[in-house]
Amino acid sequence: MLVAWKYRKRKSIIQWFDPRAWLIFYACFLVSTLAFWDVRFLLFFFVLALIVLFNSGVKWHEIRRAFLFIIAFITFFAILTFLTGRGGTELYTEEHLIREFKAPFSIFGWTPTLKITVERAFYAVTQFVRVGSIAIMTVLIPYSLNPALYGITFKGLGLPDKFAYAMDLTMRFIPTFARDFQLTMDAQRARGYELEKISGGVVEQVRKMGPIFVPVTIHAIIGSEDIIDAMDLRAFGVGPRTWLPVLKRDFKDRVLIWFGVAILIASLVLGFIGYGKFWVPEALLRLAGG
Amino acid sequence: MCDGDVMPAAALVIENLSFRYRDRQELAIHDISFQASPGEILLIAGASGCGKTTLIRCINGLVPRSYKGEMTGGVTILGEETKDWKLSQISQKIGTVLQDPERQILGTNVLNEVAFGLENLGIPREEIRQRVNEALKFLKIHQLSERETFTLSGGEKQKVALAGVLAMRPSILLLDEPLASLDPASAQDSLDTVRKLADEGMTVLIIEHRVEDVLRINPERVMFMSEGEIRYLGNLSGLSQVVDYREVKLPAKQILERARQDQPQAEITILPGAASSSDARSEAFGLNDSKAIVKFEDVAFGYEADVEVLHGLNLEIKRGDVIAVLGPNAAGKTTFVKHAIGLLKPKRGRVLVNGRDTKEASVAEIAGTLGYVFQSPSHMLFAPTVSEELSFGPHNLKHPQEQIETEVKEALRIVNLSDKEQDPPLALSFGQQKRVSIAAILAMQSRILVMDEPTAGQDYQNYMNFMDSILQLPGFEAILFITHDVDLAVIYANRVLIVNDGRLIADGRPQDVLRDFDRLKANRLVPTSLLSLNLERLNATGRFMRAEALAHV
Repeated sequence: MLVAWKYRKRKSIIQWFDPRAWLIFYACFLVSTLAFWDVRFLLFFFVLALIVLFNSGVKWHEIRRAFLFIIAFITFFAILTFLTGRGGTELYTEEHLIREFKAPFSIFGWTPTLKITVERAFYAVTQFVRVGSIAIMTVLIPYSLNPALYGITFKGLGLPDKFAYAMDLTMRFIPTFARDFQLTMDAQRARGYELEKISGGVVEQVRKMGPIFVPVTIHAIIGSEDIIDAMDLRAFGVGPRTWLPVLKRDFKDRVLIWFGVAILIASLVLGFIGYGKFWVPEALLRLAGG
Repeated sequence: MCDGDVMPAAALVIENLSFRYRDRQELAIHDISFQASPGEILLIAGASGCGKTTLIRCINGLVPRSYKGEMTGGVTILGEETKDWKLSQISQKIGTVLQDPERQILGTNVLNEVAFGLENLGIPREEIRQRVNEALKFLKIHQLSERETFTLSGGEKQKVALAGVLAMRPSILLLDEPLASLDPASAQDSLDTVRKLADEGMTVLIIEHRVEDVLRINPERVMFMSEGEIRYLGNLSGLSQVVDYREVKLPAKQILERARQDQPQAEITILPGAASSSDARSEAFGLNDSKAIVKFEDVAFGYEADVEVLHGLNLEIKRGDVIAVLGPNAAGKTTFVKHAIGLLKPKRGRVLVNGRDTKEASVAEIAGTLGYVFQSPSHMLFAPTVSEELSFGPHNLKHPQEQIETEVKEALRIVNLSDKEQDPPLALSFGQQKRVSIAAILAMQSRILVMDEPTAGQDYQNYMNFMDSILQLPGFEAILFITHDVDLAVIYANRVLIVNDGRLIADGRPQDVLRDFDRLKANRLVPTSLLSLNLERLNATGRFMRAEALAHV
């Protein structure tokens, strides 16, 4: 099996709740996390995400690749912004220098210089915690929510039948699309195409991906005709539809929703009255001689 | 046109039906008239593009509701004309199973999939559950109800798609090439179900290129279409008198009778580039002791750490080999082939290509020896012109520019597409696209051609012509193809591998491997009339032959 769903039925805090309740809570968590740049507040969300992770029933070997990728991704960008100092400049105006490293050479009069400042260092840490919290909560969704229930879940959240079923269809055809993508990759690799050796600028690289993207797109278009026929032939969209699965929301789901809404309101109020902005510890500023 | 037995109380009446697609000049079908009765199976055969699918679309209402155009004539279902019906009304009378169940299945799990049409009609939940259960039980797939659809095998998908249609309780069932992706035993299962449905009173129209397979369930009548018209409509016995045996795959004995009246055809020279002897086939019959180009040594593999799908394969591919790989769906055939071309590397054992371990070679390096043609050309064609498409491989292999130009021109000449050099490959016909995909491998100067289901989706005449021309190409030293078609192995292979459950069950000459019917059955293969005929005459012929050739032995 080349493509497999991540979802399994498991002993999971996420699966304990109704999927609609969990998605509402997730949306509240997402917006609330994005409202903060203060790592003290963000730690609350990070800890919450870790609690969910450790009670998700997802085994490490299942998420190892996804998490290693996310950790590498976040670390790379945190280090990149730390080194260049180009991230976070909209959040702070003043920098407190801890140490400066100058290269022993110059290129056309420019001497490469690395400035380690309190703000840059703490921005990297804050970014790591902020994105990490969101990533943990997001990655767990495909492992925890039953793809067969996406349609009814979104219908239950108020979307019209056609839009809600589009979610079901998306879940259904992700493995098919992935299979087609893999087939095209294999077909082109068998003709000596080496994706990993693609070089050149961004435009050039996109152009060189044509052997993959063109067949995959053409195949998707051809396949979509059959899908539309199959839907038409079974009376899709002729009127209000019955949804066979039934979701039940109970007390614990209402508690979860209210908990999420409370976090959201608290975050917005804190932001409104001036809390949650980028923060660096006083001790570090003193260390830097600020 | 001659009509067969007149049957009372027609379930379906087609009168003077013609249709022209909006963007086409010519009619796709014209002046079609026939009736079909309850309990009847009507087999519809004909070359690709003859109008079969358009006819089905006219009956199930997709034409002109989804496919716009100019339609004249009438379709009457159970005494009522459908012209003013909505698609939802028609779908409750007529069920359609499309060619590729992968695209027809819309639900993520079996229960959702089978319930889909009933949900759309707004039927109450309890009734949906009852009708879904009935359909699943009828097809004996109730145990699949909780399964996710992407985990199903080809045969299971076909049955689930059928269950989704049957749950809507149609009176008429339309099947558009339902056997295309199935192994022989799964195809047989599906056909038995179709017979059962007809015996219970359903009218079944079945489009199929695998005519001989469908004849096993005794369809009441056969329709043969050509260029948008009915060329024959009647009982089975009349079919072989009317149509050319090269157009439709008839039972071998019927071909034999017909071919006796014709002049014997010259035998094709298989792999002229492989053997110094003119008969590569006989050389390979055990006499081929040349050095192996590809060697599998105890090869084991699994996609997941704890699940092995190949279990210790040992075999060699030598110059002059024309190898047919047979086996059921999900047996590991494609996984095996992907090891030969280096797309997958063994977890245990090793694969040697030209004496070099594939673990130490890139796929690009192996591509110079083995060229792989995938089942569907649309998975690989991307370039704006045929010429650029063909130069893609050699360019990746770092051939010099002048050499590439020569290779492209030579490849185009061999596949007879020199006049299409500047055409967009995706605008060519399916058969021409297949030839472009072969030419792309030829241009890379690969020594071994590897093909996955080379004849899938093509009509009989087209795929026989295609295989004849491929086998006669001078550029290859060996050919290996995966197929569900036992007759392809009988006609073209000098060596047959049966792969099942990741193991090599048999490896030998076709007459040795395919004579054991119990073994075939155990590996979901079904003996064909051509195989039986060849075995009957093996003492006289000494080898397997096509039915036309047997007629003159």
